Amino acid sequence: MKEPRDFTLINGIHRRDFLVRGSAALSAALLAACESRGPKAAEKLLRYAERKNIGVERALFRHTHIDKVRSSAYEAGNKLPSYFVSPTVPVWDESARGKWSLEVSGMVANPVKLSLADLQRLPQVSNRVNHYCVEGWTAVETWTGVAFSELARLVRADPKARYVDFQSFDDDYHESCDIESATHPQTVVAYGLDGKMLEPAHGAPARVFSPVKLGYKNTKYLTKIAFMPAPNGGYWTDRGYEWYGGT
Amino acid sequence: MAKKRHHWIVRVTHWVNVVAIVIMVGSGLQIFNAYPAFARKGELFCCYPFEHHPVPAWLTFGGWLAGARNWHFAMMWVLAINGLVYLTFVYLHGEWRDLVPRKGDVRDSWQMIKFYTFRRKDHPHQGKHNALQKTAYFLLPVAGIFAVLTGLAIWKPVQLAPLTSLFGGYVWARYWHFITMVTIVILSVIHVFMVFAVDPYSIKSMITGNYDPALSPEARNARPFYNLLPKRASVTAATPPTEQL
Repeated sequence: MKEPRDFTLINGIHRRDFLVRGSAALSAALLAACESRGPKAAEKLLRYAERKNIGVERALFRHTHIDKVRSSAYEAGNKLPSYFVSPTVPVWDESARGKWSLEVSGMVANPVKLSLADLQRLPQVSNRVNHYCVEGWTAVETWTGVAFSELARLVRADPKARYVDFQSFDDDYHESCDIESATHPQTVVAYGLDGKMLEPAHGAPARVFSPVKLGYKNTKYLTKIAFMPAPNGGYWTDRGYEWYGGT
Repeated sequence: MAKKRHHWIVRVTHWVNVVAIVIMVGSGLQIFNAYPAFARKGELFCCYPFEHHPVPAWLTFGGWLAGARNWHFAMMWVLAINGLVYLTFVYLHGEWRDLVPRKGDVRDSWQMIKFYTFRRKDHPHQGKHNALQKTAYFLLPVAGIFAVLTGLAIWKPVQLAPLTSLFGGYVWARYWHFITMVTIVILSVIHVFMVFAVDPYSIKSMITGNYDPALSPEARNARPFYNLLPKRASVTAATPPTEQL
């Protein structure tokens, strides 16, 4: 910072020069900061902040905090974006892979493999909820399926299993989740969207959906739900997004 | 003679705030660019004329969405805690008296505007700040509090649902968060412009804490770009104005 009382500055330089130099220095400093990822050394500090944030987020979390949709809100319908990581829409190929089933295993007393028909026979719930995308958009949808807590009861999950991994057949996509969020009453393993069977664009045959998690935590194209003692990251989590991703 | 103008807590929180605001705005705009619109999917949004137009990349910070979010969610604590320290200090130290709006402020602001637009010759008499400064320095913390609250509302729209509802739901809370950011940017840009155009000597006072009242805008009768240089008492004394001879 320049000393304003420096007489070479005040008397030696025309005031317009002073302003030009001042603004040039300021814009140089700004340009250096812009469009950059910030200093590499900050990476550790950001990780530390993320760990602390997870603590705050989990402390705030309650099963009684329910997502409510304003009655005036319209359903997204065909305006709902569909994301996947494979080059094309992932579709379960029955001729190559046999019949689709959902494996629920890990730290459970009664591991199961459920067909779509098995899932549909379990108690059905429908939630009209918000979809919170990490990008900032929201969409209103009605998800129909089985409450996750119902599945946890069915397999008699070990209380020591504090985390769940949701795995898919969309390449290596998976995301792990804390058990509190997974057992939230609005977390469902969904096979229906807006009154119809789930389409491949939105995760058919079944996907996890919860308004208490950002979109990327809600794995589509489910193949396996694993109860675990520790989190194991996830597709986007390993690429730099927050692991918690809660709303 | 130099006079103490800013307590060290005010100076430290000021510069921490500069860093925090620049990073929060830059990373916030990077996050915004991931979905540069406010409409819920399947709806239209009434009140933003630039829906789906991203802001220029050179205004952004964090490199990509995840990087910007990590910066935003780390720096938010610095911004909030720093703001809390400042507000607590200003309250306990009585400096809030220099900043809260008072009855004569509208009249005094009008006089400042008249002075800046050459419709008044002499600088209006002022205390620590002129009426326009007071307004800006009062609005900035208010906007800061609003930014934190709307930010919390869109960070935790389910867990803090009552707060989000208070701002009209997620879509509107996100909009108010954006509008608050624009307000803070406008106030800050005017502030920095006026520092350089009217009172560059105040930069020193925000670093060392000392300020020479003889260099104040009131003493210099300074308008933007006018009377930036101090009146040099020794020179004027040695050579009296010729027209008076």
